[in-house]
Amino acid sequence: MSTLKHNPPPSSKKDGDSEEDDYMSMTFADPSLDPTATSSQKGETSLQRRLRLKREAEARARPKSKAELAAEEEARREAALSQSLLTSQPKSKGLAMMAKMGFKGGALGKQQPQQEQEQQQDGDGGEGKSKRQWPRTEPIRIEIKDGREGIGLESERKRKIREAAEAAGERAKRAKAEEGEYRERMRREREAARLERQFVAGQKVAERIALEKEEEKEERKGTTASRPLKAIPVVWRGLVRAREEAERDRRMRYDLEQGLSRLPTYEDAEEDEDDRKALGKARTTYVAAEDLDEEDPELEEFNALPPEERLRRVVTYLREEYHYCFWCKFEYPDEKMEGCPGLTEEDHD
Amino acid sequence: MADSTKGLKRSSAESDGSQDSKRLKTNGDDSAKMDGKQNPYLAHLNEDARDGSGFKSPLDQFERHKTTALQAAKAEDSDLNPWTGNPHSQQYFKILKTRRDLPVHKQRQEFLDMYHSTQILVFVGETGSGKTTQIPQYVLYDELPHLTGKLIACTQPRRVAAMSVAQRVADELDVTLGEEVGYSIRFENKTSSRTLLKYMTDGQLLREAMHDHDMSRYGCIILDEAHERTLATDILMALLKQIAERRKDLKIIVMSATLDAQKFQTYFFNAPLLAVPGRTHPVEIFYTPEPERDYLEAAVRTVLQIHASEPEGDILLFLTGEEEIEDACRRISLEVDDMIRESDAGPMSVYPLYGTLPPYQQQRIFDKAPEPLRKGGRPGRKCIVATNIAETSLTIDGIVYVVDPGFSKQKIYNPRTRVESLLVSPISKASAQQRAGRAGRTRPGKCFRLYTEKAFKKELIEQTYPEILRSNLANTVLELKKLGVQDLVHFDLMDPPAPETMMRALEELNYLACLDDDGELTQLGNLASEFPLDPALAVMLITSPEFYCSNEILSITSLLSVPQIWVRPNNARKRADEMKAQFAHPDGDHLTLLNAYHAYKGAEQAGEDVKKWCHEHFLSYRHLSSADNVRAQLKRIMETHDIQLVSTPFQNKEYYTNIRRALLAGFFMQVAMRESSNSKVYKTVKDDQLVLIHPSTVVTSPYDWVVYNEFVLTTKQYVRTVTNIRPEWLLEIAPNYYDLDTFEKGEIKSALTRVAEKIRRRQAMKGGR
Repeated sequence: MSTLKHNPPPSSKKDGDSEEDDYMSMTFADPSLDPTATSSQKGETSLQRRLRLKREAEARARPKSKAELAAEEEARREAALSQSLLTSQPKSKGLAMMAKMGFKGGALGKQQPQQEQEQQQDGDGGEGKSKRQWPRTEPIRIEIKDGREGIGLESERKRKIREAAEAAGERAKRAKAEEGEYRERMRREREAARLERQFVAGQKVAERIALEKEEEKEERKGTTASRPLKAIPVVWRGLVRAREEAERDRRMRYDLEQGLSRLPTYEDAEEDEDDRKALGKARTTYVAAEDLDEEDPELEEFNALPPEERLRRVVTYLREEYHYCFWCKFEYPDEKMEGCPGLTEEDHD
Repeated sequence: MADSTKGLKRSSAESDGSQDSKRLKTNGDDSAKMDGKQNPYLAHLNEDARDGSGFKSPLDQFERHKTTALQAAKAEDSDLNPWTGNPHSQQYFKILKTRRDLPVHKQRQEFLDMYHSTQILVFVGETGSGKTTQIPQYVLYDELPHLTGKLIACTQPRRVAAMSVAQRVADELDVTLGEEVGYSIRFENKTSSRTLLKYMTDGQLLREAMHDHDMSRYGCIILDEAHERTLATDILMALLKQIAERRKDLKIIVMSATLDAQKFQTYFFNAPLLAVPGRTHPVEIFYTPEPERDYLEAAVRTVLQIHASEPEGDILLFLTGEEEIEDACRRISLEVDDMIRESDAGPMSVYPLYGTLPPYQQQRIFDKAPEPLRKGGRPGRKCIVATNIAETSLTIDGIVYVVDPGFSKQKIYNPRTRVESLLVSPISKASAQQRAGRAGRTRPGKCFRLYTEKAFKKELIEQTYPEILRSNLANTVLELKKLGVQDLVHFDLMDPPAPETMMRALEELNYLACLDDDGELTQLGNLASEFPLDPALAVMLITSPEFYCSNEILSITSLLSVPQIWVRPNNARKRADEMKAQFAHPDGDHLTLLNAYHAYKGAEQAGEDVKKWCHEHFLSYRHLSSADNVRAQLKRIMETHDIQLVSTPFQNKEYYTNIRRALLAGFFMQVAMRESSNSKVYKTVKDDQLVLIHPSTVVTSPYDWVVYNEFVLTTKQYVRTVTNIRPEWLLEIAPNYYDLDTFEKGEIKSALTRVAEKIRRRQAMKGGR
């Protein structure tokens, strides 16, 4: 069927051509050169032809898949539903009867005054934009609902698709303008990450120097002093806190894995001392890091600062406290810090 | 009755003696049975009976159209029933007390005043106001039909409602159903010559009007539930509008449950309106924040959440159809069992409710909610999962929570493909309000809508489309023609249908030879309109004697007029199918239906327990016996119109062939041809729709041509109840429709052309000999 539609019947074309042909010419038209003949018929032997017809017949006879059927069914239905019967050919006898009763198009029902009737014909009846409902001129549409989607889901989905499409268009528009901006942003991000790393390095230096100083003191005094977190200067307190938190989490995880699937803090009232010993719970293995649970507004405030500021502060702290220049990587003997070119990294370039 | 009362002149209450003697005639057989002196109709005749021991009806003092609520109350309070003269029962006074508590009762006088002042009245009363039972009685006490001989009719859209309301009102008036108060529905008439107040389906009143264009039997016609806008109610309204001009003495009351009454007022020449508040409580409405992916799942979840967290009160869930409802019931019951085990929830009874459910199961919805599982435990509740029949027609007390997914199955007809089908569609705003209102019947309630507020505002239409816009009008057009409506195009309907729908109807009736080319009723059309059947069925029945099988076609017609007789329970599908296979006729479903019916009658004659027999054979006793009843009614109509009842002898090999041919005489417009030799797909004639044969069929061999009873549209397009036919018959039986020049080019046309050619050759050969 379909092949016939695509290929215009060759015979008729040839008829047309032949009028211009020179009858007296002794040359025979080579069918293979005829541009109107399609490939399938070009130089087709009877065997080939039979094969082609067989293949076509097979294609026709192949049972259609469910999806194909459904699509075809719907296409037919939609085609029929969108075709008004009033204009279809041949004219229906029903319409002729209605014409006899005075039907002249438009809607049915009580005759309205002329003016209104005209209005109504413009307005294509139905649930209308106009204030009054006009009688309908079209049958109610058939909408077939598949599945159990709730009311509004369909339109919500359509809305989302529309919005997505709009957003995509918007993005495409913006993309050009953003190209330069993108490079700038990447540069800024890389810079921020570098500053952050330097800040952490500065903290580590501060801690190392502080510990060295303390050890010197201890050796002199011979006592051990533990320091609460809050006693650590804010510039490198974050480092210690983060480390301790990581350590606590590791410990808790370990305890949990060991602790017979109970939270380590769980106290069983029925367990006596012996049970506890037997279960290896003689000691409470969990040490609550009370310090860590406390809020530290000072640190939070500090952490909220941009990385360059935090780096500046830790550098300044090192200089003032230990006469150490982060950039020279050198601890100067006095506060004049002779030989150091300045506060900032650029100064050391 | 109709003819005798028609003879009566209209008169007011002050009827003279001669008039009443006529009335006496109409009551002749009754009064013979009764003590004449006790007959309240005649009480006013026997002047001497008034004093002394005779019954003195309080109604004697009444003056038609001038009565008051007080007078009526006195009559109602009297010891003797004013309508029968018998003493009132205890039950009567008990009911009377509850009646006086109904909201409409307070406005009885107001109603009467308005009723006296106008010909047409629009009455709005929400569900629970008591309008359906009370207003007709108020009219009865004012209209005094026993004096005028003009009945009061009150129409109902549904058969069941007409029957149950009539029973209720008979109880309220302390009379026997079928006497003073009766009902009339298709295939069943429970009235007598003494009937004063008649409940009936709207379709039934329409049928009566075909023989009585002025509805002269009635003094007052009440159209109840007009807001439902059934096809028949819409036609009745248009007719009554015309009749009201001709018969100034006819009173009309249009009753509606919704506040959309203005449309009715405008339509009925700006008729006055009386509104009575219903007995309703506020209902809080909840929407979902997001549209639901699966409304059934969301509905089940919502019901369970209500059960888990809301205080006592029953739940009403609206779904679309039997299958869905049964599924939901199962899921809810299972989940509730879990909840009881795991979190000590209260018990819950879950009841389905849909039209095809047997009545005794429908009754279960009125059962009390279950008691707590133990003393002091969490209260039980019931959950009713219903189609939209619970929206208006049934009132269930105790409902506090309503879950509304927003869908219902709605009939839809499109003339362009000629498909009339039930499709799941979104409900209207009006419908959603009605559903919500169900939660506020006993106390303040909650309604959970399973859609967003935005979707409610934007996606739901305002009002449900009236049935007239959603139906095939072939039957209606035939009725209208019979009702004497000439100009169908300008017939003043409230919502005129699309012109194409009308065109299709006229065209179909023309092909069925019920209307001639001028649109006039033919003799066949006249006869067809006598049958309360679709024109195709009626024509098939009327022409069946020509095929020597009117007995069989009568049976098939009856079987097609009732719901499916096959029972196929979920837990015994295979057995049911096996049983059905016993009745199967290889040529098709129509013949299989006939076989089952014959077997049923055989079992009945053999003196078997038919109910048991039906149960064993997976047949519906209810539907088979109602088919039997329909058959008897149709048979009576056939006999009145001298339509022969004949059969081909069963031994004759043409027995089934004749039946198959007779089917085509009515259903030649419902034929499909197989698309190709190895396909299961059929193409409908002329409409070119692709269809499959419904899986319920018994047909196993793939026939090339089939006639079908209905075209159903679900997610697929099916033809249901099919029988094998031969294409030659089409050209022979319906040459007008199968005029090949009117066919569009295509496979069907070429196939039929080949058939025509073959016939021609065969005839030529015969002629040659």
